[in-house]
Amino acid sequence: MKKSKQHTVNKIFKAIADANRREIFHVLVMAGTAMSMTQISEQFDISRQGVTKHIKMLEDAGLVKTRAKGRERFCIAYPQQLQQVKDWIAFYDKFWDTKLDDLGKFLDQT
Amino acid sequence: MKDVLTKQHHYNSPINDVWAAITEQEKISQWFIKCNFKAEVGYRYSLLSENDNCEQIGGEILKVNPVNELVYTWIVAGTETVTTVTWKLEEKDGGTLLTLEHSGVSGYPNEETAIKMFESFNGGWDKCIEHLDKYLAGEEVEAAHGK
Repeated sequence: MKKSKQHTVNKIFKAIADANRREIFHVLVMAGTAMSMTQISEQFDISRQGVTKHIKMLEDAGLVKTRAKGRERFCIAYPQQLQQVKDWIAFYDKFWDTKLDDLGKFLDQT
Repeated sequence: MKDVLTKQHHYNSPINDVWAAITEQEKISQWFIKCNFKAEVGYRYSLLSENDNCEQIGGEILKVNPVNELVYTWIVAGTETVTTVTWKLEEKDGGTLLTLEHSGVSGYPNEETAIKMFESFNGGWDKCIEHLDKYLAGEEVEAAHGK
């Protein structure tokens, strides 16, 4: 995999590593249309600053695009970006490395 | 495209302990993923999400050869692709050498890859993803140092 692509994939993994961000992304995907920061914040039990921070990470990963309109900022989901993570071999490679290390830790403590 | 992912890992523990860790439901649930599991050929196992016990991965036990070989199918919930996971154990250097093979991985068609994977994460792969996140973070640190 090319470095730049790997970098994007890393950002996507990071963006979806957090449950709140996955929820926000899910809501945006389901909405299928642009939502304002206010509308998004209203749906979650987290501060507006928190939502803004999460949106920023989703935007960095290319999963969400935002644009300002008047005093509001609108967000729209780009789920196509997830196609970047289509390399299952790379995914499982990391998955098994992590898990086999976990097994070692488990065996050492029992 | 290579279709078998092979991993080797040496553990200091005796082979019986490693075998127990990969075949006993309670142990698997501790270090791997919460599960319903029995090391019996034909048993339909499930790996579950932490919070709501939803099946994330499921499959059938194909081969049980204590304490050396365990084979099962591995199907991500919501996908049709059947992959196979093989655990081989052998005594080596006073411990145990584990060889893990995951085959059929390249069989995932493009349209069911990322989206389904995302949905699996969404169900409760937080821990796995946290580890992955740390792993990736480490990798980025390395990359930054390499520049």
